[in-house]
Amino acid sequence: MSRLEAKKPSLCKSEPLTSESVRATLSVLKGIVTSCYGPSGRLKQLHNGLGGSVCTTSQSSALLANLSVTHPILKILTVSVQNHVSCFSDCGLFTAILCCNLIESVQRLGLTPTTVIKLNKHLLSLCTSYLKSEVCGCRIPVDFSSTQILLCLIRSILTSKPACMLTREEVDHISTLILKAFLLTIPEYTKGHIILGKSIIVPLKGQRVIDSTVLPGILIEIPEVQMMKILPIKKSDSLKVALFRASLCGDLSDTGKGTVVVNDGLSLENAVLDQLLSLGRQLVSDHVDLVMCQKVIHPALKQFLGMHRVIAIDRVGVALMEPLSKVTGTQPIGSISSISPSSYGSVKDLCTAKFGFKWFIHLIPNKATVCSLLLCNRNDTAWDELKLTCQTALHVLQLTIKEPCVLLGGGCTETHLAAYIRHKTFNEPESILKDGGCTQTELQLISEAFCSALESLTGSLEHDGGEILTDMKYGHFWSVQADSPSVVNWPDLLSRCGCGLYSSWEELNWSFLRSARHPFAPQPCLPHEAMDSANNLTVDCFTAKLSGLQVAVETANLILDLSYVIEDKN
Amino acid sequence: MAVAGSVKAALQVAEVLETIVSGCVGPEGRQVLCTKPTGEVLLSRDGGRLLEALHLDHPIARVMVACVSSHLRKTGDGAKTFIIFLSHLLRGLHAVTDKGKDSLILKNSQTHRRHWKNCCQWKRISQALLTFQTQILDYVMDQHLSRHFLSIFSSSTKERTLCRSSLELLLEAYFCGRVGRNNHNFISQLMCDYFFKCVACESGFEEVFDLVDDCFVELTIGVTGLPVSDSKINAGLVLCRDFSVYCPADGDIRIVLVTETIQPLFSTSGSEFILNSEAQFQTSQFWIMERTKAIMKRLQSQNVKLLLSSVKQPDLVIYYAELNGISVVECLSSEEISLIQRIIGLSPFVLPQASSQYEISNTASVKFCKPLILRSKRYVHLGLISTCSFIPHCIVLCGPVQGLVEQHKDALHGAFKMLRQLFKDLNLNYKTQITDQNYTSSPLIYKNRESNQLPEIVNGSIQSPHQGTAVRKEDELAKPQKYLKVYSNVVVPSGELETYISCSTPKVTPADTYQAGETLRCLSANKTRIIDDHDSFIESDPTIDSTAEHSRIEISHENLSIIKFARKGSMLPVRYKSLEMGTSQSYYFSSISAGCVLPVGGDFEILLHYYLLNYAKKCQQSETTMVSIIIANALLGIPKILYKAKKGKHSFPQVYIRALHALQTNQPMVSSQTGLESVSGKYQLLTSVLQCLTKILTIDLIISIKRQPREIYDQESEEEL
Repeated sequence: MSRLEAKKPSLCKSEPLTSESVRATLSVLKGIVTSCYGPSGRLKQLHNGLGGSVCTTSQSSALLANLSVTHPILKILTVSVQNHVSCFSDCGLFTAILCCNLIESVQRLGLTPTTVIKLNKHLLSLCTSYLKSEVCGCRIPVDFSSTQILLCLIRSILTSKPACMLTREEVDHISTLILKAFLLTIPEYTKGHIILGKSIIVPLKGQRVIDSTVLPGILIEIPEVQMMKILPIKKSDSLKVALFRASLCGDLSDTGKGTVVVNDGLSLENAVLDQLLSLGRQLVSDHVDLVMCQKVIHPALKQFLGMHRVIAIDRVGVALMEPLSKVTGTQPIGSISSISPSSYGSVKDLCTAKFGFKWFIHLIPNKATVCSLLLCNRNDTAWDELKLTCQTALHVLQLTIKEPCVLLGGGCTETHLAAYIRHKTFNEPESILKDGGCTQTELQLISEAFCSALESLTGSLEHDGGEILTDMKYGHFWSVQADSPSVVNWPDLLSRCGCGLYSSWEELNWSFLRSARHPFAPQPCLPHEAMDSANNLTVDCFTAKLSGLQVAVETANLILDLSYVIEDKN
Repeated sequence: MAVAGSVKAALQVAEVLETIVSGCVGPEGRQVLCTKPTGEVLLSRDGGRLLEALHLDHPIARVMVACVSSHLRKTGDGAKTFIIFLSHLLRGLHAVTDKGKDSLILKNSQTHRRHWKNCCQWKRISQALLTFQTQILDYVMDQHLSRHFLSIFSSSTKERTLCRSSLELLLEAYFCGRVGRNNHNFISQLMCDYFFKCVACESGFEEVFDLVDDCFVELTIGVTGLPVSDSKINAGLVLCRDFSVYCPADGDIRIVLVTETIQPLFSTSGSEFILNSEAQFQTSQFWIMERTKAIMKRLQSQNVKLLLSSVKQPDLVIYYAELNGISVVECLSSEEISLIQRIIGLSPFVLPQASSQYEISNTASVKFCKPLILRSKRYVHLGLISTCSFIPHCIVLCGPVQGLVEQHKDALHGAFKMLRQLFKDLNLNYKTQITDQNYTSSPLIYKNRESNQLPEIVNGSIQSPHQGTAVRKEDELAKPQKYLKVYSNVVVPSGELETYISCSTPKVTPADTYQAGETLRCLSANKTRIIDDHDSFIESDPTIDSTAEHSRIEISHENLSIIKFARKGSMLPVRYKSLEMGTSQSYYFSSISAGCVLPVGGDFEILLHYYLLNYAKKCQQSETTMVSIIIANALLGIPKILYKAKKGKHSFPQVYIRALHALQTNQPMVSSQTGLESVSGKYQLLTSVLQCLTKILTIDLIISIKRQPREIYDQESEEEL
């Protein structure tokens, strides 16, 4: 009997942002994400008080997934960052910090939400149209004929995740591997649009990072005992492969909704085993060399196949089915009684290999866009972090193919953008104010809040107490080490800007980021010679950052617009 | 425990709700964040959703929420306005009764008796409200308001063609109140584009509205993690699942729908399969395989390239589908299947019983069928070729969080509901009463009509006693201050019209005499004023009559079907009844025609306010006057909130005075707002609120029962018997 239970009334709070506790929790969250940001970000250790695994990370995806947030407003914020990360993999912390900063800096102003939201939207569209425009001074087109920029991009991602615990050489090694793995997924000949292949990350924990490698084709881990049974195969130009989707373990298939009556002394298992063995005979007579099954193969069938020098691999799992069928060109077989000859495929070669203490069968394809990235790291937590980072890097490379450009990293894009917005709203406020509804003062206040949100975002790159400067020509980001003498010649202290594009030997004027500056127009259009000379730039993914910026402003607007929070207490 | 139901309690409840909803009403409204018990967060400005999320405990509040949600189910709009209007009405009633309390019930010292007295008073008021809603409102709408109506259809052509710009204005105003401030322009543009892409021909848009409203969930795809501006419209239908098998195909692609597994099973439900030998088992398995193979072969030979299945197909079917180059999509919901059926008119493929005949007739062509990737999730994208006036398109809604996507989805769905309502005619009917002196003339008309419609009387007779009693009750309750109105009969086709007009002259005179008698009896001091009023009204009557006549006749030709239908209903028998009573009523049937709109921003409210006040001035029945005045004043509550943030020229008093001036001098009203809103929606809202108020007023005691309300199982009780 079902019990009808009266629902408890909900809790309704007005003007949630004005409450002190909400502000406090927001600033705690901001503190957490800010301290993780950048190459020198601090790591967070997340663990459950009852035991279980410990996660050491500084990545937004791992951090927010493990953090349990209770307040609905924080939930909106974290969920929106998580959604962004699941779409673009990168720039999660950027989005979270910018959103927190925006909420905080706008709240201090005490303007009505209507004006704030309207102007924020205008400023956002100013940013996006500038970043997309040709004159943008912080965007670099990607040249796919050289690996330089792509390597810079991967290296920037790797160095910004300190929890991977990589040395400089290891970073270089892993970035080459990632680029290699990515290039292996690009098909050689295409007609129409490109369909990228897949790179499978194979875990190998407890090994040196330098031992990581990338191999074309698929690695299937098998137990050592089974490895002994695999005999060296007769050499031919290629091996014939059969891949089964249906289970070959000899259980009865679905018999329908009615009843099936089995007479005494009748053994259906025998009947099915007979069928399996006749399937084995067919496979042997079709000269199949390798049989793989998603599920389990009956031991008798396995033995029969082994006797006829056919290699049988079972329990492949559903995740590998698609790449396997791609690599071998087979159609996964769903029947155990008849096989159409067209569903067989082939591999070029098959060999066994031992990496670390694990045995693998390596399927080498004739031509396919699948590769295996064998990833090593010293311990579990560092490996998990490295795996996430590699996935991010691979995804970012895919996004870069779609939109072939990158943004300057290391805080330079943000300071440049802030300088641009300041200049634009100071000198041409008419374009924004023309539709009415707000005054110039309001615009100045909001644009100042917006720019300072961007600048304090770059400020959180510096965790060691250093000072942050910006130059008055390009609007780039420069940082000075802590406790350096106050009155010195700036070029002696500064070497390169955050992204590494400009050096301090140029004649530049600097000013502290926190101090007030007169708005200036940052120099648009990157000079070509600067780009060619610098081979070690810090760059960010264009698509991910642009969308992160949009999502951050949209989410901040959403949160600022809240007038009530209704909490269901059931 | 029993609590006396009172206006005061209801007012308190309504005012609490009003503070919450007034924060999100209109273009300046803000968002509300709701959490679900599951932990999900939802953003909303939708009044109905907010009220439901509150899980209110108070019995009166629950009555209100129930009324709001039933109104929303019908129209899809107006929940916030509902609450605001209701609380203004209650406030008005409360103020009136507070004032009158001393004089009315001074003698009753006992509170108990006072309560009963109060209840009688509420009952009377609620009946007056009902009368207002059924008679006066329709009258005012039809007689006065209708000349201010604009139409959403372009006026240049005879046919009803939708004007894109006015649809845009309408939608923009709608979304202003429904989605976040930054997105309403974008969403309304999206909806407009969507609508015009889906409509195949100009005339079939009603069908499109019906289909989109019914199947809206299947026609939208929500994508989180992208900015809202990435939302787009996709041609074709997008199904929220991946291909089980995908074989690229082009050229003539045919599809079939299946609702069962293609592979035959050993036994179907209710049957028994007896296995006698192993060989029998093997042969039956072989037969199953062969048959599956044969069916798939057959499908391939019919050029079928895509199999849409509502169930999961066995591995064998998937294997043979791939071998035959047939793509498979499994586990479609029944809603998706029915949507596809509605669009392409295809019925599911029935598996042949005998093994020899494989005639497959139920196939349809599609333009394309391919996977679609939205933020690394794969969907099935079908280019269905429509057989109805709906060209399939899907809306892909993007947003940073699920809550926002849901909000936009709800708002779009509500907009379709609203438009669906807008394109329906809404009937108005009301009656005026004619006194006994001239009832002799009336039967003449009835006789004419009775000869036409004799067989139809049966239909209407069900309604008649009820209406008759209502009229009588009113007679008892209200003092016999019958106010006379003389109007030409709308419904009468031209032949009858002559007879009617011929007898309209005597009508005016008795009215005069009657009134004279009436005013004599009326002992109030403002006697002269009343007479003056009436004189002026009667003077103006003929002109109104003549104009009304002309317009009515036109309408009666246009809406002939409506009139017929209406006549079938309540008209005849009621008249028959009223004959006995000595008074006859004339019924007027008209309608708010499809697509009527008014400028947004309180135009409807101000207009109705003005005309109601005018009406109340001329009306003699004290209760009707009071109710009309209360309603008229409560109507202003909505524009007051809308203009709250505005200053100077756009502040509410300024706008109000300008509007009144324009109305008094018969000039067109100038609105500062550009949007439009549906008249029928507003009208329905008003009637819903009045019904809700009547409901609240008629409750005198609220008894809370400790026992859990038991669900009544009809079937069980029958079994027990």
